[in-house]
Amino acid sequence: MIIEVWTKGKYAASEEAALLARLRAAGLKLGGVKLSRLYKVEATWPGKDFERLGAELLADKITESYTLSNRPGLKGLYRVEVWLKNSATDVVGESVKEAIHDLLGRSPAAVRFGRAYYAFRTEEKKLRAAVAKTLVNETVNVFGIKKI
Amino acid sequence: MENCEELLKKFTALDGAGLAALDKAYGWSLNAAELRQAQAHFKKIRREPVRGELESIAQTWSEHCKHKTFSGPVRFSSGGKVKKYKNLFKETIVKATRRLNRPWCLSVFKDNAGIVEFGRDKKWGLAFKAETHNHPCAVEPYGGAETGVGGVIRDILGVGLGAKPVLNTDNFCFGRLDSKARLPKNALGAERVFRGVVDGVRDYGNRMGIPTASGGIYFDEGYLLNPLVYVGCVGLIPADKIEKKVRPGDLIVSIGGRTGRDGIHGATFSSASIEEETTASAVQIGHAINEKKVLDVLMRARDLGLYDALTDCGAGGFSSAIGELGCETGAHVRLENAGLKDTRIEPWEIWVSESQERMILAVPPEKLPALEDLLNSENCEYCVLGEFTSDGRLLVTFNNEAVVDLSMDFLHEGVPNFEKKASYVPPGISNRPPRAPGKSHALVLKRLLAHPNICSRHSVITQYDHEVQGGTVIKPLQGRSGDGPGDATVIWPHSATGDLKDFSGFAVTHGFNPAAGRLDPYQMALYSVDEAVRNLLCSGAEVSRTALLDNFCVASPRDPKVMGALTLAAEGCHDAAVGYGAPFISGKDSFYNQSKDAAGRDYPIPLSLLISAVAPVEDVRKAITINFKEAGDPVYLAGVNRKGLGGSVYGELYESGNNYLSPVEIKAAVRLYGAVLKAVKNGFVRAAHDVSQGGLAVTLAEMAFSGELGADLDLGGAASERGLSELELLFGESPSRLALEVVKGKEREFLKLVRGLPVKKIGFVGAGPALELRLGAKRLIREDFRALKRCWKRELL
Repeated sequence: MIIEVWTKGKYAASEEAALLARLRAAGLKLGGVKLSRLYKVEATWPGKDFERLGAELLADKITESYTLSNRPGLKGLYRVEVWLKNSATDVVGESVKEAIHDLLGRSPAAVRFGRAYYAFRTEEKKLRAAVAKTLVNETVNVFGIKKI
Repeated sequence: MENCEELLKKFTALDGAGLAALDKAYGWSLNAAELRQAQAHFKKIRREPVRGELESIAQTWSEHCKHKTFSGPVRFSSGGKVKKYKNLFKETIVKATRRLNRPWCLSVFKDNAGIVEFGRDKKWGLAFKAETHNHPCAVEPYGGAETGVGGVIRDILGVGLGAKPVLNTDNFCFGRLDSKARLPKNALGAERVFRGVVDGVRDYGNRMGIPTASGGIYFDEGYLLNPLVYVGCVGLIPADKIEKKVRPGDLIVSIGGRTGRDGIHGATFSSASIEEETTASAVQIGHAINEKKVLDVLMRARDLGLYDALTDCGAGGFSSAIGELGCETGAHVRLENAGLKDTRIEPWEIWVSESQERMILAVPPEKLPALEDLLNSENCEYCVLGEFTSDGRLLVTFNNEAVVDLSMDFLHEGVPNFEKKASYVPPGISNRPPRAPGKSHALVLKRLLAHPNICSRHSVITQYDHEVQGGTVIKPLQGRSGDGPGDATVIWPHSATGDLKDFSGFAVTHGFNPAAGRLDPYQMALYSVDEAVRNLLCSGAEVSRTALLDNFCVASPRDPKVMGALTLAAEGCHDAAVGYGAPFISGKDSFYNQSKDAAGRDYPIPLSLLISAVAPVEDVRKAITINFKEAGDPVYLAGVNRKGLGGSVYGELYESGNNYLSPVEIKAAVRLYGAVLKAVKNGFVRAAHDVSQGGLAVTLAEMAFSGELGADLDLGGAASERGLSELELLFGESPSRLALEVVKGKEREFLKLVRGLPVKKIGFVGAGPALELRLGAKRLIREDFRALKRCWKRELL
């Protein structure tokens, strides 16, 4: 199960501006960006447990939202998903796994932490090049791009 | 790999090509002589090695662990003269320390860090160490920087019986952010490396609760493919906890992180140039929270006397740490007891894995239960790997199957060393009067202030927590608005001593000048030490108690010219240490900092020597900063303005036809600094700032805009070499100078202390915003300090 967490619109301006600036500095023309944090929790638990993780552990109620499916309101743009390779230590994932144990009293098999970036009004080929240049290091990261 | 396994089975019969093929396939980075030496050993003991043994040998004999280049024999030739060294390091840097023989040096060159006496009643030792993590940062900047910081913190945790970290330092060298050079495949751009390294240093230091508050950033195209990441740590240790000794029978206990396949071959990686393809296993991501747990356990276990010795697992992992701790006793390690991240790991990989956040303790069996209680209370993982023996052998088994069975003598003393050739041909030097740039002095000053090697580092510094532990008295950003530059950081380490009545502190500074090194490596060392000492002085630190660290980063030592420059710089370190009375207490070197560029040509870094300096501050409440404080105060320049624009930032911006590097006059500098320190300690000096990058005009501009006060200064009043041009006066970077703001009512007393020295009044701090620099009646520069500050305060990130 992937739990996606993002900063609510009215608090996200600075992180979106910083990301936009980095991608533009890499030569990409685009209309706008949004970003999310992804937590891949490997466990066969009821949906309400994942809901609880999103609500009580991973998202700040005031400044953030979360979803267990697709982030709402985003269509006709590119979604970039970035993860650490399985061979790379995922410190955030390990810490979240411990926190989940503390919250639910049981541990998932694993937790991996990743990021999702949404890019408006751009070209996939150029986006791929800009992401490779700025947001990922293919020595330790894997990433994929899809149109949504 | 089957082919390699077959080769391994007939290791003692392999010819040179077979040995080289095996070395390449397994990534050991052993040279032909070392492979032959290992082969001879196994021939002598009449058996074939197993892989774990050759992995252990490769780790132990690696450049990272053994420093075989710097501590090996060198034949230096220059200008028809030849000088031979049996051990370059011992005959230069260590020699100076031995000659000085300072009683306040408590532990030098024998442990994870150097230790000097600290505090009013001498109950404490101050441990200081700086490391590099260059190759990992070139491949994965964030992870490389994080694990670099984690590693140097563990050096401090592992010195003596454990010191408490109170300050992290960071110094970086990157390619120019505006570089247009085409990069080879897989190389990361300078901006990318810069951002990742800063993120890594920030995240690790902040999460560990250690202030990152001292350092520098240097941009030069020479670092485009090989960034340098120097990370340092200062810690406090009780003076009676400095000695450690492993006893036969002590248990080998690993605490902290688990062992995984990450970080295989990190040590041997340091003996190789960066190739296009580097495996992900050579880099890893740090886990600061695990290391924080280790820190918390160790500080309590140390004070309870629960272990006899400890060291960190750094390069080489268990192989290096247990090998070093047990080198005088012997050890039996049972790898099946290791806590693992992943069970799909070979026994030899457990042995050499450089997984982070692990420390090895030598624990008397009767004290294990108490240690276990402490570890469990901090949720810190551990495992008992075996015991130290008394047979002088290193025996490593996995479920009773031998992984390593070697004599400690061979492992630690068996590495062959051969004489490196070193030569030096000095470049052409011109000391003719510099050509005018066709720009006004004010415009040149503004360009200098905006230069990446001078401009503000606030976008980096403010990412670091430099206030945690509550002891950062003089901060990295100084001045009236807390956003100006600084020469030194001053720390009051009460969080470690627990003593709020003792105001003893210490100052940390750095000196770094690869631009001077391109002209004269010997003078580069002198410049760097001089700058570090002067920076200490500018905070009011006791410079007669300066202790130094040397961190050399060098290209391939197979190039005699590289070795020649290194030899001269090492000689410079010796002479500077003796001259300033400042012993080296620790150091580190990093070789093979070169790569192939996009066209396949060698791309070496310039010779790079970071000097880190630490000195006590008797009373932190009396420490001073660089900014002008009060209108009407007289301004003095201490030191002599000398000819030459060699190595200067001005020389990088404008072709002047002059590349002369004015030599450091150590004796004169020491006399001057002693007098100035007396004046500072007596409270006669309100602000002090060294003249370094950008020259005198930049120094005075920084004092003005940091203090938000102007000044009216006649530079003709300063002590200057005859025939000095305006350009050299304003923008030359000749050494051993500092600008001082003297307290208005204390000028007479100040002048008594500096009588007979080149300390001359050049004007007054002003109440208005104008900074005016004159030469007699001629106005050189008149600018509003706010305009100058805007130029300086550009965003790097």
